[in-house]
Amino acid sequence: MSRIRLAPVYAILVVLTLVSVVPFLWMLATSFKHGPDVYTKVPSLLPLDRRTGEWSPTLENYEHVVGIGGLGRAFLNSVWVCLVLVPAKLLVDALAAYAFARIPFPGRDRLFALLLAGMMVPTITLLVPRIHVTQELGMFDSGWGLILPNVASVLDIFLLRQFFLSLPRELEEAALIDGAGRMQIFWRIIVPLSKPVLAVVTITSFIFHWNDLVWPLVVLNDPDLYTLPLALQQLASSESGRAYYIMAGAALAVVPVIIVLMVFQRRIMEGIAFSGLKS
Amino acid sequence: MIRRVTSTAAALALLAGLAACGGSKDAAAATTLTYWMFADRTPQAGQVVEKLRAGFEAANKGVAVKIVKIPKDDYNTKLGTALATGSVPDAGTLDQPLVARFALDGTIKEVPAGTVDEKAFYEGALTTNRVDGKLYGLPQDHTTVGLFYNKTLVPVPPKTWDELKRVTAEIHQKDPKIAGIVVPKGDGYGGWMWPGFVAGAGGEMASVKDKKVLFDQPPAVEALQLWVDLLKSSPREITDSDKPFENGLAGMMISGPWDVANIKDQFPDLQFSVAPLPYKTEPAGNIGGENAVVFSKGKNPDLAWKWLKYLTDPANNTQLAQALGGFPSTIAAAERDAATFGPDQAAFLEQLKVARARPAVPQWIQINDEIIAPAIESALSGKATAQQALTGAADKTRTLLGWTG
Amino acid sequence: MAVPVAERPTDTPRPGRLLGRPGRWRRDHLVGWLLIAPAMAYFIVFLLYPALAALYYSFTDWDLRTAPNWVGLANYTDLLFDGAKYPHFWQSVRVTLLYTLIAVPLTMGTALCQALLLNAIRRGSGVFRLLLFLPVVTAEAAVGAIWRWLYDPQYGLVNVVLGLAGIPRQNWLNTPGLVIPALAFIAAWQCGISMIIYLAGLKGIPASIREAAIIDGAGPVQRFRRIVVPMLRPTTFYLLVTGVIAALQVFGLVYVIFSGGGGRSVTGGPEQAGLTYVLHLYLFAFRYDAMGAACAMSFILLVFIMIITALEFRLVRQEAS
Repeated sequence: MSRIRLAPVYAILVVLTLVSVVPFLWMLATSFKHGPDVYTKVPSLLPLDRRTGEWSPTLENYEHVVGIGGLGRAFLNSVWVCLVLVPAKLLVDALAAYAFARIPFPGRDRLFALLLAGMMVPTITLLVPRIHVTQELGMFDSGWGLILPNVASVLDIFLLRQFFLSLPRELEEAALIDGAGRMQIFWRIIVPLSKPVLAVVTITSFIFHWNDLVWPLVVLNDPDLYTLPLALQQLASSESGRAYYIMAGAALAVVPVIIVLMVFQRRIMEGIAFSGLKS
Repeated sequence: MIRRVTSTAAALALLAGLAACGGSKDAAAATTLTYWMFADRTPQAGQVVEKLRAGFEAANKGVAVKIVKIPKDDYNTKLGTALATGSVPDAGTLDQPLVARFALDGTIKEVPAGTVDEKAFYEGALTTNRVDGKLYGLPQDHTTVGLFYNKTLVPVPPKTWDELKRVTAEIHQKDPKIAGIVVPKGDGYGGWMWPGFVAGAGGEMASVKDKKVLFDQPPAVEALQLWVDLLKSSPREITDSDKPFENGLAGMMISGPWDVANIKDQFPDLQFSVAPLPYKTEPAGNIGGENAVVFSKGKNPDLAWKWLKYLTDPANNTQLAQALGGFPSTIAAAERDAATFGPDQAAFLEQLKVARARPAVPQWIQINDEIIAPAIESALSGKATAQQALTGAADKTRTLLGWTG
Repeated sequence: MAVPVAERPTDTPRPGRLLGRPGRWRRDHLVGWLLIAPAMAYFIVFLLYPALAALYYSFTDWDLRTAPNWVGLANYTDLLFDGAKYPHFWQSVRVTLLYTLIAVPLTMGTALCQALLLNAIRRGSGVFRLLLFLPVVTAEAAVGAIWRWLYDPQYGLVNVVLGLAGIPRQNWLNTPGLVIPALAFIAAWQCGISMIIYLAGLKGIPASIREAAIIDGAGPVQRFRRIVVPMLRPTTFYLLVTGVIAALQVFGLVYVIFSGGGGRSVTGGPEQAGLTYVLHLYLFAFRYDAMGAACAMSFILLVFIMIITALEFRLVRQEAS
């Protein structure tokens, strides 16, 4: 397509991107503002002095947020949890999704329907019994208590299964006839073909657990184990009205997510095609 | 089979013995007391709490106090889960309206006789811990709301409702872009402030003793009508903006002591001061703040009471109260340190003397959120008159509580 | 990766028939069970057991603290029919249905539009993709503060932009009729994940098919209708099913928008116009001492979601045939 014909496409994209980015920019700008410069009558997307209108950014908010006890540790805790949890969850989900998509065994589809039904119960209701189980397993108030109770997801299995269903069967069947085992097929054929969808699941589950507040809140008592959202929530709910601290904390929290995004997003572009929604 | 059971039992006994040994060794080193509280408001507050903790541990050899700080917005969710699964702390902060509920179902312990001298506390603050005449907790601090006024727009703060209405109307008349006062909303927060006005007209929300709902009586109706009248010169399009008072878009607002520091930090140019709430027949106010209780399922009740007593000791009470964002709950501490609070806080201190506790009814939070707040909102939005809204709300409350009066 | 759809066998033989050996079958059962074992162990412990426990609590008066008493179907009948005990139950149902009806199409439409545009360009697509994804990665605590500011009746940017089009100022988050559209717009702003899934789907459409259509003289609109829409149908279906479920359970968004911080309670915005079903449920579970009733609410919602999802499946099957 010629460049001229693409001009309107770019124009619309720029408008949509602005809508996406302006709130984010405001967050960044606020995080660099002096307290009194935040609430100006004319909203400003730059850290400007409220009286003179001059460029006047500050790092004070970041210093304050970082200086608050435990934010650095909370950051590391979150990194550690995500590094263990996200790959483990991906593996558990992918194996199950492969079986649900490809291996015929008795009761398979009924089991899958049951799992889908489980996704329809609001998690708030399940909170108390889940904590109870976690206690019984001796994982309450520990790193494992953050990881194991989150190590599989119906939503992800659903997405992966839909994708695996769309893969051509010929390759697998040829391999089966050649005597390959199911696991060999999974690692040598399914996984390489599924990089885009695996990247989507990695990104979404990383974002979810990086930002998850409720589960760490109820399962942890030890401040040494607090994760980043908990530390940020302390900021948000205690310094009432101090938007600039919240924004500085949120801006810091976003950096690792963007790194993960940049690493895995390229994979997605290789494409996903779903096919038959055989239930 | 029998042999297996006995050997299992023997193994268990062995394990139990080992555990007991380990336990006793630990006990010699330290008894751990767990205490839950809201997350620090400021880093300085955190240092105060840390200092108090160190002081307690130094005075009580072999005791370690483990403080768990929880974001305030999520405190009750976490506490509810912990209570349901039995992982409660020994002691902790508890919202005032929860005390009655937790006391009546045995979740928290009654304060043992002789633990504290009840006369040392402000009556209003202590009453928030009283259920059926018994005491279930100690007030760490207490707080109330007052009238913030913009000195440029309001040179002399109104004392009575009539003055308040007049000043509000004048501000808006002079400049239609400015609201007279930020009228509270019909939400849970507005429902917490409203009783201060009801009491200012000589009324009460309810009488727990006589099982009577009273917020459909004339004083309450007049208080709500006051808000409705104020709204006429305080349009919502102006006051729904973020921080209208701070930005100079409203002449007055009703808020608590925590906003004094916030405003000074973020709006250094604003000339403002605080006055007690205007009243109709008698000065009055509402009350808030943090109570501390001992949980029945906690392990070290005696030590827990000792810790709570230590926190409310006049020697420590002022520091703690300021860290929590309120005022000392003990009279001795407040009187000793009154001068250190500064002129902005004087209005709150004055008002706390006449502050009234919420009715000690277990369902009060739900009544406040689900019945009173919507009634206030429907009067403010003009969907019903103040009397209609409150009559309906009072009837619903009677049904919910099973009261006849 | 492109799946050549044309080459995909229309009638896939079942592997069992193809291989035709009973031994293989039985080993396959075992492998299948083994592969799902970790996930199933997880679901039994952390999903099914908690769900069954919640189902039991829904027939009790549990308040989280004292022993639950069996009350039979009372929670269910009171929720549905006792307006004095649960004055805002039906309000929360209305709010949630309205939200779902607006938010789901708006989110999916925005996501598809963004994905189509991204798919049409080459230069700069990586940058645009990242920028369009930023709303999803923003921490929830910040999302609340950001949007309260954007919707501010006095200085909010939303009113400024609408003002350029001659639309008068609105008090978005404080006018009962505008709360849900305003919330749905935030949901659409955060459509990044749907956008990425759509984009991945678009990349999966083989170039050969599109080229063939161009040679046949099909214009962009025709190509969209004849190729893109049908090829994306499974993606759309996945997003619709999961999007509806998520919208019916919306909670975090309302919670951060209407919580002012400092421990103030969230009661659902002006005249309960933002009191979504799960927010209402949360309040009963953790604020009003009625976990039993909250559990009953979950199962009423569960039944409703199951019916909706079944209808969606049926609709798609009808369209396909």
